[in-house]
Amino acid sequence: MTTNIPITSDPNTDIACRTPDMQERSLLRKVIDRIADRCRSRSLFILHYCTGCGAIELPPTITSRFDSERLGIQPMVTPRQADILLITGYLSVKTLKRVILTYEQMSAPKYVVGMGSCTINGGMYWHSYATIKRLQEYLPVDMYMAGCMPRPEAIQQGFLQLIDNIDKGKAIAWQDYYQQYDKYLANQQALFGPDWHTPTDVIAEARHYELFTEKTTGEHTALLAKYASKYVTLQHEEHEEIVK
Amino acid sequence: MSNQQLPEILAAVFREIPNLVFTEQTARRLRVELRPDTLPALLELLKGRAGYLHLSAISCVDWPELDEFELVYHLWSYEVKTLVSAHIYIPKNPGRYVSVYDIFTPAAFFERDIHEMFGVYFEGSPDMERFILTEWTGPPPMLKSFSSLGYVEETFKWEQYSPDWLKEIQANGGGIVE
Amino acid sequence: MRPENYQPVEHPASQEYELYFGPNHPGIEGNYALKVRLTGDEIVGIRADGGYLHRGFEKIMEDRLWIQNVALVPRICVPDPPPMEETYARAVEMIGGLEVPERAKWIRAMILEMSRICGHLFILGGTAAPIGQYSNMFWGVADRDYFLDLFEALTGARVYHMFITPGGVRRDIPDGFLDKLSHILDYLEARLPEYDDLFFNNPVFHKRAEGIGIITQEQALAWGVTGPNLRACGLALDVRRDDPYLIYDKLEFDIPTETSGDVLARTMVRRSEIIESIKILRQIIQHLPQIKGPIRCNLPNPLAWNLPEGDAYARTEAQKGELAFYAVSTGGAKPWRVHVRGPSSMHAVQVLEKLCLGGRIEDIALIMFSLDACPPEVDR
Repeated sequence: MTTNIPITSDPNTDIACRTPDMQERSLLRKVIDRIADRCRSRSLFILHYCTGCGAIELPPTITSRFDSERLGIQPMVTPRQADILLITGYLSVKTLKRVILTYEQMSAPKYVVGMGSCTINGGMYWHSYATIKRLQEYLPVDMYMAGCMPRPEAIQQGFLQLIDNIDKGKAIAWQDYYQQYDKYLANQQALFGPDWHTPTDVIAEARHYELFTEKTTGEHTALLAKYASKYVTLQHEEHEEIVK
Repeated sequence: MSNQQLPEILAAVFREIPNLVFTEQTARRLRVELRPDTLPALLELLKGRAGYLHLSAISCVDWPELDEFELVYHLWSYEVKTLVSAHIYIPKNPGRYVSVYDIFTPAAFFERDIHEMFGVYFEGSPDMERFILTEWTGPPPMLKSFSSLGYVEETFKWEQYSPDWLKEIQANGGGIVE
Repeated sequence: MRPENYQPVEHPASQEYELYFGPNHPGIEGNYALKVRLTGDEIVGIRADGGYLHRGFEKIMEDRLWIQNVALVPRICVPDPPPMEETYARAVEMIGGLEVPERAKWIRAMILEMSRICGHLFILGGTAAPIGQYSNMFWGVADRDYFLDLFEALTGARVYHMFITPGGVRRDIPDGFLDKLSHILDYLEARLPEYDDLFFNNPVFHKRAEGIGIITQEQALAWGVTGPNLRACGLALDVRRDDPYLIYDKLEFDIPTETSGDVLARTMVRRSEIIESIKILRQIIQHLPQIKGPIRCNLPNPLAWNLPEGDAYARTEAQKGELAFYAVSTGGAKPWRVHVRGPSSMHAVQVLEKLCLGGRIEDIALIMFSLDACPPEVDR
């Protein structure tokens, strides 16, 4: 006696066998992003980069008295594993170059927090020839903490706000860097000269994250072309030819 | 101040240097003015005879009206316990002076600092490379002819701060005091 | 993973390699860089690279009024700001011929000694961290916070107080402050034996620190080393004793010294200086209530305050060494020139380079912390 296994599913009608269409896929993505954001906000690593005066208030914030670890925030020594770039005060032009290099090495999503008045408008050093005045011209900033310098409580309040923003999917300044790279590069070149370039291929990363817009490239990114052999993205077709 | 009040050991040193003028400013502070060509001899004598082992600092002052740089060598003796500040004036052009590195090792740091901040060149200094302003392309920033605010205004962007509440106050005759 | 656009760089065959130690390195105190050339673990060349914290203090001080600069000067050195205020204020007083009231002098000395303890606790924690003893760092930072709370009660700010102004201090001490201070001093003194067990008598620390980064007496004098680093070589030299300012000639205190001049000696000198500072503070607690009088001399309208023509060189024993301000006035409302001699301008650059040469790479951080090199005041 033979039993026929009944075929209950038809590839054209059963949902398990069907490729989801674009609308369904974006919905799925939203749900996954929501879960990922919730997870991200619970474990954040600050890059251990002491740039200015504010660095002196970080040890109390992180060690036993105020203990940031209970919020899930810890220092991390390498940029590749870090989530938060904390700019703790004034940035001299010389440091800004290193900060931009470091920022571009961090993996997305990444968050920049400007701590202290000097990152907002120059603060105490508003007429100093050596320090930059507004951080947001050179890097996309998620949050500023005002004060000279902010107290540990203020820093923790800022962290809580940042956690909330990440949880709600509002801390998306890093996308702006890819979407408007030309604007940021223009400001960087205005300060460092037209020869300024970094080894990180921001334009290719923008394509990778699907954040490439018409503002990603422009007249300022065109200046990077002379370093193309070394670093910068070739046109998409050329690139594929070389890969072949 | 007469030579009698001065410690004899210092008075003996000062007698050796021609055209030296000294005044006592406050307790333990001696201000000495002398010709630039005699300064290395004074430092050598102070170190050798009066125990002035510690070069506290070398300061540079820009005097645009005189067209001169003033160099001030602050020396401290752990024995005499008096600070001697030796002032010399060197012409801004060509802005060169001799290094005292062979007498006081710490001079290397201060001379390097003055070189990048004022543009004075010290002959014989072991290291005249830039230390702080390695990526600076402008003129030496400590010169009086360099305006920090002017540089900031043409390099950095300023955000005009005029929120609505401030405009209201200004309409009523108030505002930010400049 | 290598990026797709990676291009190998051709180097000549060599035993040596170059390493960038900083500016982003947890073993470096602040934002500072050392370019190190190495053969294996041994350092064959080292070059300090500063300027990452350069703010052009000396320039922007020339653009501000004498009194406005009071807010600016503490920011020169982040871990130990009050000596900066004190030295600047004293330079202004020397030029202007101001007489500081007696009570203000005692309050100033109290702030300076509290700041010295803060700085030492912070740096002793820092010295422990590069050899992996993080508990000491946590303790040091936590105990320093008690003093920051005292500063807050006194001045309203934790780190930058701007409390010492030319001619005196900003306000009198609040009620009950000396009792609180006395309580914290008792606490810290009782805590020191615990620090001994954890860190100062720890055989691991002794093994690591003995014989590392030795400065001899002759070298220390020739290189212009000052402060605790000089006293670790066996020379009892202190600006507070040699060139007394404020009330230090009326106080009884010892100048602790060690003889070996290595990392261990420098650490132990800092430990003894905490005890000496506690002693000084106890004397101040005892004497301050008896000294009555104003806390500030009368100043002219600070916005139109023209100091007489002249120059002055004020020296202070800061926590890291000799701090000096050279101020020049041409009779205007703004300084003509202010030169800052940072306490670590000597040992953070030249001495550090000389001590690290021939040593091993893992000792760089330890030597740097034991010298107490403070980059912000080198860069200014």
